[in-house]
Amino acid sequence: MHTRRSFLGKILSSIGALLGSGKFNKSVSSFLTTGPLYAGTPAVPPPRVVISRDMNVFSSTGSTDGDRIDRLILGKMLDRAMEELIGPGAAEAWSDLFSPNDVVGIKVNCLAGKGLSPHTELIDLIVDRLAAAGVSKRNIIVWDRTGRDLERAGFRINRSGEGYRCYGTDNDYPTEELEFAGSVGGIFSPIISKYTTAIINVPVMKDHDLAGVTLSMKNFYGAIHNPNKYHDNNCSPYVADLNTHRFIKDKLRLVITDALRAQYHGGPSFKPEHCWNYSGLIAARDQVAHDRIGWNIIEEKRKTAGKPSLADSKRKPSYIERAGELGLGESDPDRIEVIKT
Amino acid sequence: MKFSRRDFLIRSACCACGAASGALLSPGLPGLERLLRAATPSAAIPSGDNSPEQERISPALYYEKLEELKIKCELCPRECTVADQERGYCGVRENRLGTYYTLVHSKPCAIHTDPIEKKPLFHFLPGTLAYSLATAGCNVECRFCQNWDISQFRPEQVKSTYLPPDDVHKQARRTGARSIAYTYSEPVIFYEYMFDTAKLGAETGTRSVMISNGFIQPEPMRELCKVLDGVKIDLKGFTENFYKEYCSGELKPVLDTLELMKKEGMWFELVVLIIPSLNDSEEELRSMAKWVAANLGKDVPIHFSRFHPTYKLKNLPVTPVKTLDLARKIALDEGLHFAYVGNVWGHDGENTFCPGCGGIVIRRIGYKVLEVNLKDGACVSCGKVIPGIWS
Repeated sequence: MHTRRSFLGKILSSIGALLGSGKFNKSVSSFLTTGPLYAGTPAVPPPRVVISRDMNVFSSTGSTDGDRIDRLILGKMLDRAMEELIGPGAAEAWSDLFSPNDVVGIKVNCLAGKGLSPHTELIDLIVDRLAAAGVSKRNIIVWDRTGRDLERAGFRINRSGEGYRCYGTDNDYPTEELEFAGSVGGIFSPIISKYTTAIINVPVMKDHDLAGVTLSMKNFYGAIHNPNKYHDNNCSPYVADLNTHRFIKDKLRLVITDALRAQYHGGPSFKPEHCWNYSGLIAARDQVAHDRIGWNIIEEKRKTAGKPSLADSKRKPSYIERAGELGLGESDPDRIEVIKT
Repeated sequence: MKFSRRDFLIRSACCACGAASGALLSPGLPGLERLLRAATPSAAIPSGDNSPEQERISPALYYEKLEELKIKCELCPRECTVADQERGYCGVRENRLGTYYTLVHSKPCAIHTDPIEKKPLFHFLPGTLAYSLATAGCNVECRFCQNWDISQFRPEQVKSTYLPPDDVHKQARRTGARSIAYTYSEPVIFYEYMFDTAKLGAETGTRSVMISNGFIQPEPMRELCKVLDGVKIDLKGFTENFYKEYCSGELKPVLDTLELMKKEGMWFELVVLIIPSLNDSEEELRSMAKWVAANLGKDVPIHFSRFHPTYKLKNLPVTPVKTLDLARKIALDEGLHFAYVGNVWGHDGENTFCPGCGGIVIRRIGYKVLEVNLKDGACVSCGKVIPGIWS
């Protein structure tokens, strides 16, 4: 028979043994890298946001004709980001997060056209890394709201041909599948609700005239049929509420923001006069922490460009703090580990 | 095979029109599918072809250009500020490089030929047909919307066809409809299409009626009054809180619209969907009836309709008939002459009673008119003039 005291004593002894055996690190590491991202994650080391930059990533730039990207440099940036985020090596990192059984959706944000959408070169590299981890390219879907947006950003629509699939949700919203998440009610794209087992979010980093900034969480407005209904009050609490839905929080495994070119003002459409070459990728598993750091970067750039803060512009992205309050992730920048590489 | 509600509605419309050709409507009336094919000979029906080359957009009315390519929409009281490449709350008006466009002009996604009683308009050409159409989109979001599968969607998410204003009139004539009804979703958001179509009514003789929430700015409403012949307004409740919580809208601008229409001499009727526990208190119903009598007059018809659970409000029961009876009684007690009960077929409150002699001047069951005891707009029994558009 155990008393409460003896029971607690045994528990503490077991934990001590676990720590001593070295299994602890692997257990925590495994938990952090393979589980879905959702509220209730136990107190563990601060979430990590990796900023991987290389100022030589652009061979040349063209705001209308597109950029020339040095794929080799971009690949190295991506690998460094994954090593720092997941470790120990880039290949192992991808294998830790994804299995050959996964159907992986890569959500991009192509609203702003070729000038300010995720680069096709980056998507190609992510697809290659997934394939190396054993995910069939036919089980990878690059998607956004509409096929038209994808094409305008330089992607080739491919529903059934060789290579990865690429298409928009367009009008594929089954009316019998109305879903709710807090203050948000809408129909999800079946690409996220049905077709995929895992999501990689690949947004861009930019200013948004209503939300303040649009990074990872806001990009999921493109996953529901009625985002126009949720832009009041700087999109808060709507963005945060939407991201509590199981389709997102249970499937999102990785955020890699294409911050090669970013925009600090005038968004969400492409305004070349307010863009700068940040030449970076921002990787995270905690998208709240990710968005908080991205918000800081945009604020800093706005300051140097002589623009008022987003709060002074009456468009503070308070949905990020709201997401932190909901337990979706860490919104306090002091509790986020930022690694620059 | 699985059908969505949207598919079902489209198919139902085809079937209804087909059936109507042999029954309800005039002999030889073509079915909806034929109508649509005639209107769009080169398009599949309904094709849902939203490809860029098929996209037809028109400049929007009522907006102000702002700095940095933004615009402020001035069509409805929401007054959305819309950045370049973005859309307003309605989802059908888009800013492209600082110019605001409507994406739904001449692009209806629902077309039916309905009895005018279905709108409901009880004092407007009773027993006639209304060629009824809608596009995607709405400027509010009622949690109890019966047509949410078009009103809460964007144009590219629904199947639509191309039907410009002159073709609307042609099709209306072919169906024998005496009027065109802009309805189902929210016609305010397809303002330009409605306006251009209604304007043609002066040439074709086909009337135009708007079935709306009344959430519109005064200036565009004033202009509409010049081309419309009748309006039905959904007065969704009588508290700001109800409008905010359950409709994402506001009451005050709707009341302003009603007063404006009264001033402009527009014929209009009111519908109040009575939802158990939300807008059915005696106090609210009485204050509404008092306001209508005092500000709009006692001759404004008011319909109290039965709620059925749907969309985001499925946790409430169907409205008890006794609640509708109470609402009607309150309206009559407050002096309103024409209070009706809706969505309860066979109810006595479907009939129009003469305020003079109390006799039935129009007897109805559901959408069907059984008896009209009017002569030159007056009760045949006592000669009391009954307000409305009768010819």
